[in-house]
Amino acid sequence: MRRNLSCYPLTWHLMDILEAAFSKIWPKKGGFWGPYLMLSPAILLVGLLVLGLAYIGDTSLRTLDTSTFLFSEEWSLANYERALTEPFIRSVIWRSILGATIVTMTTLLLAFPYTYIMVRTRSAFLRKFLLIALFLPFFIGQVVRAYGWLIILGKQGIVNDILGLIGIEPLRMLFNYPSVLFGLVQYMFPFAVLMLAPALTAIPEEIEAAAESLGASWQETMLYVILPMAKSGLIGAGLVVLTLSLTDFAMPAILGGGTQDFVANAIYDQFFRTSDQGFGSSLAVLLIAIGSLLVWIIFMLVGAGTLALGAKDK
Amino acid sequence: MTFDKQIKRRDLLKTSAMLGIAGAAGSVAPSLLKAEPAKPKEIIVRAWGGPWVEALKAGVSDPFTTKTGIKVRHDLTEDNEIQPKVWAAVAQKRTPPIHINWDTTTNATKSALRGVCEDLSDLPNLKGTTDLAKPVGVDGYPIVNTYGYVYVLAYRPSAFPSGPPASYHDLLDPKFKGRLAFYNDGIGFHFPAQVAGGGKLDGIPNNMQPCWDFVSKIKTQEPLLGEDPDFVTWFQNGEIDAACTISTNALGAKRNGVDIAWTIPKEGAKFDTDGLWIPKGHSEGDLYWSREYINHALSKESQQIWLDGLGLPGVIPGLRPPPGLAGDPSYPTKPADFDRLIRISGKIQVENESEWFSKFKAIMQG
Amino acid sequence: MNQPVAQKLFFWILIVISIITLSAPTLVVLGASLTSGNIIVFPPDGLSLKWYKALVEKQELQDAFIRSIWVAIICVLISLPAGTLAGIALVKYRLRKGALIQTYLLLPFTIPLIGSGIGLMLVFGEVGILGSLWPVGVATAVINLPFMIWAVSSSATGLDPDLELAAQSCGAGPVQTFFYVTLPSVMPGIITGSLLMFILSLNEFLVSLLLVDARIVTLPVQVYNSIRSIITPDLAAVSVVFIAVAMLAIAILDKIVGLEIFLKSK
Repeated sequence: MRRNLSCYPLTWHLMDILEAAFSKIWPKKGGFWGPYLMLSPAILLVGLLVLGLAYIGDTSLRTLDTSTFLFSEEWSLANYERALTEPFIRSVIWRSILGATIVTMTTLLLAFPYTYIMVRTRSAFLRKFLLIALFLPFFIGQVVRAYGWLIILGKQGIVNDILGLIGIEPLRMLFNYPSVLFGLVQYMFPFAVLMLAPALTAIPEEIEAAAESLGASWQETMLYVILPMAKSGLIGAGLVVLTLSLTDFAMPAILGGGTQDFVANAIYDQFFRTSDQGFGSSLAVLLIAIGSLLVWIIFMLVGAGTLALGAKDK
Repeated sequence: MTFDKQIKRRDLLKTSAMLGIAGAAGSVAPSLLKAEPAKPKEIIVRAWGGPWVEALKAGVSDPFTTKTGIKVRHDLTEDNEIQPKVWAAVAQKRTPPIHINWDTTTNATKSALRGVCEDLSDLPNLKGTTDLAKPVGVDGYPIVNTYGYVYVLAYRPSAFPSGPPASYHDLLDPKFKGRLAFYNDGIGFHFPAQVAGGGKLDGIPNNMQPCWDFVSKIKTQEPLLGEDPDFVTWFQNGEIDAACTISTNALGAKRNGVDIAWTIPKEGAKFDTDGLWIPKGHSEGDLYWSREYINHALSKESQQIWLDGLGLPGVIPGLRPPPGLAGDPSYPTKPADFDRLIRISGKIQVENESEWFSKFKAIMQG
Repeated sequence: MNQPVAQKLFFWILIVISIITLSAPTLVVLGASLTSGNIIVFPPDGLSLKWYKALVEKQELQDAFIRSIWVAIICVLISLPAGTLAGIALVKYRLRKGALIQTYLLLPFTIPLIGSGIGLMLVFGEVGILGSLWPVGVATAVINLPFMIWAVSSSATGLDPDLELAAQSCGAGPVQTFFYVTLPSVMPGIITGSLLMFILSLNEFLVSLLLVDARIVTLPVQVYNSIRSIITPDLAAVSVVFIAVAMLAIAILDKIVGLEIFLKSK
């Protein structure tokens, strides 16, 4: 036994100090409060958003006086009434929910094969190539990417040029609902792949071989073996794509030509154009409520999957 | 090309203007030695980017820096997007993020009604301005209008072989389906649409049904809706044949080589102004020098250079129009030029904007 | 491989379409930045590097770029501890009201960015910290936090509780166990999450728009503001520079840990 304490490495001393401090904060027996303590920094950070929400909620209850552009002193539900009854707003809300759902299903459908190949391929080069192709678009940002599509799909763009070679008149492929959905899908695609990848990696290849040896065709293997095992990844990816496309602002604005407003665009208009922050706030609150409700329902039904904000429930 | 000539002329003007100002400053130097408030390190002016801020720099900001030594930093945030930031700053009693807002008069009117603008009535150079500088519908000068512009009917001449469209009704021709563009809140179009729909201008704002009827007709043409940069892009990429937009966008596209022209149809065109204002909450020194900046912007030399870049008529009498724009309908100077232009008070516009906005969107997207 | 032709064909067609869709805008932006004309067209109107030369002169774009990097670094520094702790906690422990907490922690996604932006602007304004750059870092950390939590927790599902027990039976206290056993196991998730947070924060423009002023403007905000006025090829050039830096970062990351880390759960 060494008698001289200074002979121990520095890190050991450091650890001892930390352990002593830690045992003061961490409740005895780990117990009930431990995990909540670990969650507290994240909860506090999101709490900043909640504080902001409080302001927005407060503003949503005030109506605008257009002769002074100040907000009413008293609270009223007038903004919410207007949001729920005005036909334009209702069509915008419906358009957003429908669009988000279609985008989610399409993205998952397209992301699955991409992820599958990326995970299963034996060629490291191919895997790296697919990963890089996935990541690069991130760095251009949503807005510039959307403008890139305006150029490609425009009346004088490349696609129309190619179509022209086979004698088709230039088509208007932009500024409509499908183009907005397309823009959202290509933007959400990398997110979906990233969320699916860990789940697919966790499925051992031997399972597929086993299924085949039991006589399953590749479609059956896909449907009955892989898909269920990838469920957690699909749910995680689906949740992310659903919430992000429901609340997206840039794609409907740029690819929609001003005629395909989603709720976020309507909120933008109210905050920035008509300066009716009260009405804009009420729309924001409605959107958050709809989004959170959808998310919560999915959580209750199927668990959070690889958004794995959840304990292992395999 | 005309554009190159523009640059050389502007350089010449810039140099001579600066010499002129330097000379004037030299003669005025002794009086500047009187006690003047502390100079801020820099003044932040909100401006629209691209050719707009370049014109402002050449005409106002750079000469101001030369004269006073105060640097001017330009904030390129959109006028719409800076508004809640400024309002929040004033409401929370913080220093606003900008010293001077180069804003549309309609937007500025909202801020004025809310009471967040400093009073500018006693600026010395206001004496030399025309009536156009006074904002309509608010008391005094919380904003100073600095120039006007027309919402013209811009069009591609190749799409109109028999000459410029004489009326908005010409745009209802089926061959223009999907080839028209308007601002996404309908701005600039409401008033001529009122006339096109068979109504009268004094029906604004109380009886605008003719306007909405005509807008519904235009909707069948599936127009594109966007903002300033979109119009330029759409014309450049050949997506549209006609648009109701401000003349500067058409001019900008033309200077970039796009084949484009503009006209005022028989229903008329909306005329509006842009101006400068200072949000409340700045220190005494900052406020003093911000006012000096605006004062400077109202001088004849500044207006000449600034507005040459924009191709728009100013508020100082006797300005020389840029080449090619003299007598152009988008450059009204004489009273007769204003006959077919529609000018509605800022206050009325601001009060009804929200409603007009929703109605337009509801018709277009419904 | 023992896969039937039909399956291979089916998958490969889908993948080729995906790659084209992912890369097409990048190529267009690259091409448009090399144009010798004044407007954005593709294919470009003659080739020229003049727009890149213009970038070298624009000091404000370079300043904005440095600021964006700074904001991204702060974002990672803040989200790393918060996200890691939360991610591990959510997986290790079975929590009461788990669904509620998860919905709460997904708020950054369910709240539209405009709402978050305005809300944070008001909160930071009240406290008086607007005008510095670090609140922007905090804001980008908050709105992208679920990504960090996700990355760590999907790594943590591979945590072997036996390892921790073994460590403790060797005499390690909870802190030591955490640093020497738990953290290394979730390291892939931490790295994935950090990179993702860095990228997302670097490109964030909507919330930043509301939190910056002209003195501290970040690059995506500057680009966005410019696009609202007029779209010129120098914006394409800026985007290409961004991508070049990104490729560099990805190459470095690959050298250090290998890109495959994004695919792994452990």
